[in-house]
Amino acid sequence: MKLLEIKNIHKSFYDKKVLDGVNLEIEKGEISSIFGFSGEGKSTVLKIICGILKQDEGDVFINGKNINNMESYKRRTPLVMDEPLLFSNMNVIENIEFGLKLNKSHKEKKNNKEIEARGEIERSGNKFYSPKEIMELLGITGLEKRYPSEISMGQAQRISLARALMVNPDIILMDEPFSNLDIISKVKVRKLIKDINKELNVSILLVTHDIEDVMNLSDKMFILNEGKIQDSGYPKDVLKKPSSIDTAFLIGTENILEGIVSEIRQNDNLMKIRVKIQNESKKELYDYNKMNLYEKKSRNNNGNEINSEIVMEADFNINFETGERVYMAVRPEDIMILREDRGMSAGVKENRFSGKIISSIFTSRMMEIIVETEKYLNFKILIPFHAYEVMNLFESKAVNISLKKSSIHLIKKKNKL
Amino acid sequence: MHLKKNRIFDIIVYIISFLFFTTLIILLSGIFFQTSAHLFFKELENHSLWNSVLLSFKLSFIVISINLIIGIPVAYILSFKKSKISFLLDIISTLPLTTSPLVIGFAVLITMGSLNPIGKFFIDNGLKFVFTPQGIVLVQLIISFPFFVNIVKTSFDSINRKMIDLSKTLGASSFDILFKIIIPLSYNGIIAGLAMSWSRSIGEYAATQMVSGVIPNLTETAPIEVFVKTSYGNYPAAIAIAGILMIISFFSLGIFKYFNYKTGIKNSGSNR
Repeated sequence: MKLLEIKNIHKSFYDKKVLDGVNLEIEKGEISSIFGFSGEGKSTVLKIICGILKQDEGDVFINGKNINNMESYKRRTPLVMDEPLLFSNMNVIENIEFGLKLNKSHKEKKNNKEIEARGEIERSGNKFYSPKEIMELLGITGLEKRYPSEISMGQAQRISLARALMVNPDIILMDEPFSNLDIISKVKVRKLIKDINKELNVSILLVTHDIEDVMNLSDKMFILNEGKIQDSGYPKDVLKKPSSIDTAFLIGTENILEGIVSEIRQNDNLMKIRVKIQNESKKELYDYNKMNLYEKKSRNNNGNEINSEIVMEADFNINFETGERVYMAVRPEDIMILREDRGMSAGVKENRFSGKIISSIFTSRMMEIIVETEKYLNFKILIPFHAYEVMNLFESKAVNISLKKSSIHLIKKKNKL
Repeated sequence: MHLKKNRIFDIIVYIISFLFFTTLIILLSGIFFQTSAHLFFKELENHSLWNSVLLSFKLSFIVISINLIIGIPVAYILSFKKSKISFLLDIISTLPLTTSPLVIGFAVLITMGSLNPIGKFFIDNGLKFVFTPQGIVLVQLIISFPFFVNIVKTSFDSINRKMIDLSKTLGASSFDILFKIIIPLSYNGIIAGLAMSWSRSIGEYAATQMVSGVIPNLTETAPIEVFVKTSYGNYPAAIAIAGILMIISFFSLGIFKYFNYKTGIKNSGSNR
């Protein structure tokens, strides 16, 4: 039985359709994340799960039970938001015990039979942890008597997390929990979330627009775009092999080319894709990818229409057929810059291009290089800084690059784009 | 040159403010110049004076208790249940603030009179609102209610809605939210509202006079006593009561301002 199931959720605000048939399933004990741009309705999904908002259509199930008509305070789906939102009239320990005390007072009012039924749920569910244990786990012991105005943002966010843990939740819903934290607290809280997930076996659904959060935390990711779950799966798979061009753009995939499958040789594990390099179409593609480098170039070459072709090789893939239009994506770290002093091994013979470095930027720990090939094709390449130095690379230097055919990921082209 | 201009500005602002404060203080304290300390304290021994003041206290405490019970749910509706008619409800609940108190007293007098079907209904069931203390409570309630509700609503408005949503997911029902979060976070606003509506109620004259009938010890409140004493030409007695009323206003306003400032400081700080 799935812990949480959402089926065909629709939601509109006034005339604006925000969710248009969202489906997702979450297993117990997992950290799942919903990823998407701001304003795509990610938070709306969470609000519907915890009952703050009511969906226009569709069902929400927890442990197989339909909770559409259950009041928010009866669902055990606590929220943790981007702000800690601690109750300023209570001190830290009162904040943490807030939900726990409410549960107790509700319980006392119920008759014995219901208490028994509830006990059953608790026995089958998580082990119960005391506020003290939780505080220790989250590293906030000693703050009990302080008031929310007297503690740091990072501590406050951990208290907010502790408060959610105390209600013995079915699932904790987190809405951009890191967006107001500085980088150090962010890393700490991230690790804490991982720890509590392991230690307490608590399920978490995280909403974020930061792909780093997704990669570092989640067991499973859902990409929400245009009101639908566009893609889902293990974050590494989704990131490396996006199933649609929309997903690829969303997760910031670089080096996307468009072409036609020209030849398939299954026995040699080979597919050939013809890429037409056309000034205009490429410019458009790069615009969409928020990269304006080519624009500059094309302006320089104004009136000088480039219309050439290259052939790329990729691994055989049964899902494609000859003549089909496809997108190709290569991760920047998978492109090799060939060393001049070495002979060519078999691997680097694949998809070889020569060109020159037109820009190199030092990002955290890596060099981000853009190489323009002879046929005005730009590739973004990431290499470690020491490699950049060892190879004596610099801007305007001529280099040879190679794209291993196994690293080329093909995406079906839909008619939409 | 620049500095001089600013100096002139300061001087103008200070002079105007100074004139305002001194004029007001002179006007209000002027009544004490027409009496002597001896006369003033002699009047304070008068029983009918204390009876009227006590009656005013008693009635205004009933008024603010009712304000508290009705005002919090109304402020809750106005602040948390915003809808298309919230604007209209806001106007209706604030209307007595801008309507002449005399008109309100008059309306109650007519509606609750024996010739009116509504008044007749209440009278037949043993509830008389004309020339009775409960009539005074009714009009003072109508007049002081907007002060309480508006101040409490402003206080409720300043509570973070995301926090309220979040507390629901922690298992808090609407009752829990009201009593454990909203009210504790609005203590200052509620106390300020009570102080304000109380001083409005204790000083109310016009509407009260319409329904009171001026019956000593029963419906003769302190402000009415001031008027009655003045019309008899008994100025020392009127001055004594007026003085007491002024001191009461000063202190209740002090309470209001103190708690209102506190709310302001709290809300300007970080709200986490």
